[in-house]
Amino acid sequence: MISLQGVTKYYPSKLGNQYIFKDLWFDIPEGQNIGLLGSNGAGKSTLFRMLAGSEYPNRGQIQTNLNLSWPVALATGIHPQMSGRENTRFIGRVNGVIDLDSYEQKVRDFSELGKRYDLPVRSYSSGMRARLAFACCISINFDIYLIDEALSVGDPKFKKKARESMIEKSKKANLIMVSHDIDEIRFFCDSAIVIDKGNLDFYNDLEEAISVYQGEHR
Amino acid sequence: MAEIKRRTTLQIWGDVIFALFIRELRSKFNDKFGITWALVEPLSFILLLSYGRTLITGGDEVHTMPAFSFMMYGMLLVQLFLNVLAASAAAIKRNKPLYAFRQVQPISAVISATLQEALIKLFVYAAIILFMFFVVIEIRMDNALVLGLVIFLLVLFTASLGLLFGLAELYVEEVQKVRQIITRPIFFISGVFFSLQDMPQEYWPYLNWNPVLHAIELSRQAAYQSFGAKGVDLSFLVFSTLIMLFLALSCYRVFWKGAISR
Repeated sequence: MISLQGVTKYYPSKLGNQYIFKDLWFDIPEGQNIGLLGSNGAGKSTLFRMLAGSEYPNRGQIQTNLNLSWPVALATGIHPQMSGRENTRFIGRVNGVIDLDSYEQKVRDFSELGKRYDLPVRSYSSGMRARLAFACCISINFDIYLIDEALSVGDPKFKKKARESMIEKSKKANLIMVSHDIDEIRFFCDSAIVIDKGNLDFYNDLEEAISVYQGEHR
Repeated sequence: MAEIKRRTTLQIWGDVIFALFIRELRSKFNDKFGITWALVEPLSFILLLSYGRTLITGGDEVHTMPAFSFMMYGMLLVQLFLNVLAASAAAIKRNKPLYAFRQVQPISAVISATLQEALIKLFVYAAIILFMFFVVIEIRMDNALVLGLVIFLLVLFTASLGLLFGLAELYVEEVQKVRQIITRPIFFISGVFFSLQDMPQEYWPYLNWNPVLHAIELSRQAAYQSFGAKGVDLSFLVFSTLIMLFLALSCYRVFWKGAISR
């Protein structure tokens, strides 16, 4: 369970503080694959980044005893002057992977970079970078994977592979995902949280959540 | 799939600092000169300046110290100050994308950058001592403990100052320019070229507020007991370091979460 305890989050701006959440108390249940739904600017990404520990609430705290991944989508922390292998080792070290060598091998196999794995990342195409980042994340056993439009990376073949591995993962672990693609959310998730005006509502039934979300859209 | 181990907070810090250290090393010496440049640059500077100093005052010695050693402690320590300050202040911002990993915190980046610059200078110091051995300049280390302490204090002082600047620069970007302007005269007011005892005593109050000056004079005194440093005091360096460290850590504790969430 991830519990949000009195979370207040705002961004300073010229018009004063823009509040995203005000004193939010909420428990995100365990053992579900959850989609985050909400219109643009509702705070999906903010919530997502706070769950990941990439940002912090201005007040209150987020507590959990689970291992959460980092937000996978972007090529986060990939250094262009280091090779794919060195980047992998960096991510492995930061996340506390026990066996770095076998982790390295797994990422190499999954990302299908072949020999280029030992070349600097700046020589990669953007698709290859995304593949590397995704492989780095999926090769670590987390309790919850935070997926942020990440499954739309690479060519169709890699996309299919990424989806399959994600489904495989979701048997043992869980996903929290942000996407504007309702079909993708239907594919992976079984429940949803709708974010509206700084409030969170959990729906056990995904379809109900989608209809609420689309209802407020119209 | 790769398992992750449960780590204590301290272990996470250690792992992260080590990972950042290697990462920085990789990007730092990536050009053709590599690590040689880190040695050639200060060495040529010291040779030039010590030659200049002997031209002005005559003789090979400055206050019983060989002119070369006199200049070496001045140059190395002022460069240590400038490099550690620039590196630690810039580290917070440069590593901003990495804070997406919850394990990576700004202070780890500062510690790693500081460690790196300090180790580079230590390496340069060792290489210059070796150089002095071959060109037969008298090498003395009369009070190595105090010398080590002075250098350690200077690094700690500078890293704290860098942490403060780095935090401020996340809020107000222009602080970076202010930092660059106020560090420029440091070279001239820290006694690199002239010792404090060369100055008329009535000007001392304008100079001896500066901990870098204290560090440089004290390091010369520690290496050559006969140098006779005047107007500087180890306890001043100790207390300015402690105050700066305290200030930096308290500001960090209050502001770091807000600073990286902007």
